[in-house]
Amino acid sequence: MKMMGEFVKGLWRENPTFRIVLGLCPTLAVSTSVSNGIGMGVAATFVLVGSNIFVSLIRGIVPEKVRIPCFIVIIATFVTIVDLLMKAYAPALSRSLGMFVPLIVVNCMVLGRAEAFASKAPPFKSILDALGMGIGFTWALILISAIRESLGNGTILGITISRSFEPPLFMILAPGALLTIGILIALINYLTMKWKAK
Amino acid sequence: MNQMTKFGLMLGIICLAATLVLAFTYEVTRPIIAAALYREEQEALKAIMPEADSFKPGAVGGIEYFEAMNGPALVGYCLKVTGSGYGGYMHIIVGIDTGGVIKGLRILQHMETPGLGSKINEIRLGESEPYFLKQFIGKNARTISVGNGIDAITGATISSKAVTDAINKTVTEFMEKMRQ
Repeated sequence: MKMMGEFVKGLWRENPTFRIVLGLCPTLAVSTSVSNGIGMGVAATFVLVGSNIFVSLIRGIVPEKVRIPCFIVIIATFVTIVDLLMKAYAPALSRSLGMFVPLIVVNCMVLGRAEAFASKAPPFKSILDALGMGIGFTWALILISAIRESLGNGTILGITISRSFEPPLFMILAPGALLTIGILIALINYLTMKWKAK
Repeated sequence: MNQMTKFGLMLGIICLAATLVLAFTYEVTRPIIAAALYREEQEALKAIMPEADSFKPGAVGGIEYFEAMNGPALVGYCLKVTGSGYGGYMHIIVGIDTGGVIKGLRILQHMETPGLGSKINEIRLGESEPYFLKQFIGKNARTISVGNGIDAITGATISSKAVTDAINKTVTEFMEKMRQ
């Protein structure tokens, strides 16, 4: 049961986007369409799981003073693997995510999990933590991009949902991202507080 | 062993392992990535020059092009054009006949703002090709500009101009180089 907790906490209680508020830069940038959101979420989850496993495995061996460079090398390796695999097997997705796949290297969420969790926990627990965080990040991205794509472009996953209104473009541009994320964080904080009070 | 050497060694071992893994992944994916790019290019070439049956690559003055051949006859050229748009570089492939008239074109890659600049490559419901690009076909690439034969997309003037100007400039340069 305690193991399960490591997985579940990333989904809501310690959701990387809405609760810990890490890795917002890629979240703001790629949440313009649901397909981008899913792609980014899956890529980040892969990197999280891979880096968490290895950081956890080497946690006893690596001297404290050089741990950060070691973590970064591990994370960068996994990011490059994802980038190459995406270019090979999903070229269209790779193109639309562009620079943001290589930039997962500097996503605070990934290094944050390595430093705060995997460097102090056994591999299996670290995998659960990474999966929870990754899925938490993915659903947050899907929610944000669904709101932005449907309001700003009138489509979801590229399929037109309504032609009855002229989509307000700013929802797809940067201000829409900030507004959507702000309102969602407020809403989720409110809900969490309400449930806690009960 | 002093501490510094130990740190360096540890980091070195991890870097070595990472390099091995990356070298392996790179070698495995390289042919697949190259094949995907090649396939995409060939598809684009066939789409913009349907009357040609083979394409011979070449380069002149830094411009990469393909000679579009129908049997032994030269029917035109396909030029690789790089434009500088609002969000970054855009890669376009444009087919012209020997006189510089545009036969077809495709945007292979662009980073324009979704919902605004991305309309340069948007296909309207029920149509088969992007409406912005359709207006280029049949026009002489060396005379087009936004406002002269090409209508810009509302809210995406920079992107529209980037495509038009890049094509005009590259084709003009190319035709001059070929005449020499």
